[in-house]
Amino acid sequence: MLKPLRFALALSVITLSPFGAAAAQADGLKVVASFSIIGDFAKEVGGDRVSIVTLVGPDGDAHVYEPSPADATTMAKADVVLVNGLHFEGFLKRLVETSGTKAAVVELTKGVTPLAFKQEVAEEHEGHDHGNVDPHAFQSIANAKIYVANVADAFCAADAAGCETYKANATRYAGQLDALEKEVKDAVAAIPAEKRTIITSHDAFGYFEHEYGLAFHAPEGISTEAEPSAADVAKLIDQVKADKASAVFVENITNQRLVEQIASETGLKLGGTLYSDALSPADGPAATYIELMRHNMATIKGAILGS
Amino acid sequence: MSESALVFRDLTLGYARHPAVHHLSGNVATGSLTAVVGANGSGKSTLMKGIVGALKPMDGEIVNPRHARIAYLPQQSELDRTFPARVVDLVSLGLWPRRGLLGRFRPEDREAVAKALAAVGLGGFENRSIDTLSGGQLQRALFARVLVQDAEIILLDEPFNAIDAKTLVDLVALIKRWHGEKRTIMVVVHDHNLVREHFPETLLLARRPIAWGDTVDALRPENLLRARSFDEAWRDDAPWCEPDHHDHGHAHDGHDHPHGHDHHDHRSGSHAA
Amino acid sequence: MYQLLIAPFVEYGFMQRALFGSLLLSLGGCPVGVFLMLRRMSLTGDAMAHAILPGAAAGFLFYGLQIIPMTIGGLIAGVIVAMAAGLVSHLTIQKEDASLAAFYLISLAVGVLIVSVRGSSVDLMHVLFGTVLALNDEALALISGICVVTLAALFVFWRALVAECMDPLFLRSVSRLGAPVHFLFLFLVVLNLVGGFQALGTLLSVGLMMLPAAAARFWVARVGPMCALAIAIGFFSCVAGLLLSYHASLPSGPSIILSAGAIYALSIVFGTRGMLSTRVRHHRHRTA
Repeated sequence: MLKPLRFALALSVITLSPFGAAAAQADGLKVVASFSIIGDFAKEVGGDRVSIVTLVGPDGDAHVYEPSPADATTMAKADVVLVNGLHFEGFLKRLVETSGTKAAVVELTKGVTPLAFKQEVAEEHEGHDHGNVDPHAFQSIANAKIYVANVADAFCAADAAGCETYKANATRYAGQLDALEKEVKDAVAAIPAEKRTIITSHDAFGYFEHEYGLAFHAPEGISTEAEPSAADVAKLIDQVKADKASAVFVENITNQRLVEQIASETGLKLGGTLYSDALSPADGPAATYIELMRHNMATIKGAILGS
Repeated sequence: MSESALVFRDLTLGYARHPAVHHLSGNVATGSLTAVVGANGSGKSTLMKGIVGALKPMDGEIVNPRHARIAYLPQQSELDRTFPARVVDLVSLGLWPRRGLLGRFRPEDREAVAKALAAVGLGGFENRSIDTLSGGQLQRALFARVLVQDAEIILLDEPFNAIDAKTLVDLVALIKRWHGEKRTIMVVVHDHNLVREHFPETLLLARRPIAWGDTVDALRPENLLRARSFDEAWRDDAPWCEPDHHDHGHAHDGHDHPHGHDHHDHRSGSHAA
Repeated sequence: MYQLLIAPFVEYGFMQRALFGSLLLSLGGCPVGVFLMLRRMSLTGDAMAHAILPGAAAGFLFYGLQIIPMTIGGLIAGVIVAMAAGLVSHLTIQKEDASLAAFYLISLAVGVLIVSVRGSSVDLMHVLFGTVLALNDEALALISGICVVTLAALFVFWRALVAECMDPLFLRSVSRLGAPVHFLFLFLVVLNLVGGFQALGTLLSVGLMMLPAAAARFWVARVGPMCALAIAIGFFSCVAGLLLSYHASLPSGPSIILSAGAIYALSIVFGTRGMLSTRVRHHRHRTA
């Protein structure tokens, strides 16, 4: 019974593939990725078969991103739109509406178990779009694999001809992610248990904390706009002292001076830059997702254990 | 010439190419007391502004041969009356020529200020805020400032506006005292009786000088008539003034040169004095 | 009482710095604010916040997201706008408020153009404007320097500044310092504003400059005591605001400004030159 089915399938592939091939040769599957990390996943899964436009590029801040008319045009012509979901992209709904795109908008966090923000952080976000849910699910490699699987499914739905390629790429990449995950877990294990608390100025690491057991504390909430009160800062200093945090980091988007101030007051050393919401530019240390996670882990470990 | 406090050479002063004072030449003798008289818009205030340097001449020049210090009391002060200051602060501005930016005020300076205030009838007003003064009181305070400036040349533009009779008497006495101290004084006055009574010399202006000299002569009826007939307004279609047509000589000797060309009926007016 | 008023500053380094920095800013900025107010230029602060954009954008274009080039760029842009406005108002019939408005708008447009050409989505202004709780050594040094320069300039040129404000025609008739002093004043304004932006943010910088000055107007009638009172009100607002931010968990900048605002409101009503004083009928009066 499968034989005729497989025959039919093979036939459809044969008859359809010239169209598919023609389309692929013309300009590939047009993919719009909302920000750089998703763009990286799309590239890994899609390979040569896709042409990707990323809206919020390296070092960009999706929270305050203002789309341009060019973005609307790109969106209108897209075949697939990949987004994070969980209210990560505040600008997206309007952009989709104004562009009038026919593309499927795929939320890559489908299937991810969302985490709520920690209590102290949730209070600070009053005017912000996030609601109570932390959208940075990609900070856990296990979730990243879900993202990648969703990307593959989305590509398959839009371009059945390339589905095998997409699935193969996804599997290969997932293997790399597994290896990466092992690296991260080993690195954490090498840090003594009492030194696993760190400070960073952007609270995007909730999933990382949940998955790998490092504790992240933040002086401000997720929003880049929030202005702290003296009480918050004092509380955090007290907390750092009480929790005996071992390192402080600034990340590439928000006000770094506040974090520097806390570091100097608590005697911690500044540990460099962690990448939380975006990749670095191509010549930087976190140009792909894998490099980003490696860099972050190495930086954290180095700051706690080393200098 | 060393006797002159000020020298005007073919002076033309005005705004936007329309003259307010047209071709004035002559000397102001040191120690003279001159009333500047004329209808509204005849160029009196403009002349004052030119002498003190607030307005650059359109043509000709004003010379201050001894670089004498000039004290100027404008008709409409640019003083900000709501500025938070006391009368003593306002009058102490007059110490600037002596003390400058950084010089400390000495006891004799404070005395000079107090004496000046007393001389204008504002004794005891030192600590009053300037926004509580009446118009006449402010005028007297500004007079006191001129006193403190202790200048060789004193220019007063309509100083007797808004002043009561008693103060008028006091201020005229002050001017006489300055005259006695051999200071050079020019005062813009509207009241011809006042001029005849107190001022030995008069400059009668109607954009161009009609008469300049002894008061009795200058204020003769013919001169006054001629002064009244000048046209105050500016005309954009007035012909341009040609430089070689004008060699007045000195208007100071009291007579006026009639011109065949009649260029002077320019119908270009002066800015309201 | 100690717990309430003193302890927060003793226990936390960041509170000490915040206090120090904001007090220094008040010391230099409040007198400048008094003169701004007396010249009817009270909205200059907001205009300046927009005017510095092209300078900061240019700094960003060449050096990336670095504080120092962007601040210097902002300072240069601010000085150019202020000087241009001053020149135009000095040499033509245009008054200062209109010429400043014209130039800051032009400047802002140029700035937006530069930013859009670069095509970056990063919000420059967030990097440029600091917060009082994060005063590092650089920022403190900047504020201290500005305070010293301002106080020195005010001290030396005080008489000319007052004269130029009170009776500019008179000053022109006795001295040639009028124009230079005017421009020096504009420079002080830009210096205090831009330095303040960088260290403390726009709200705090402009607010600390204008609110104490505006409040002091209701109490004293001489410009010297007015400056002193403005500084005192500024000091009080900084302390009160920081304590409020600490004990009531409110954002620090707005807390300081609201403290100053509360004093302003009280001054309007209860000041010796305020509403009650001018409207209330006293039950007796003197004979002279």
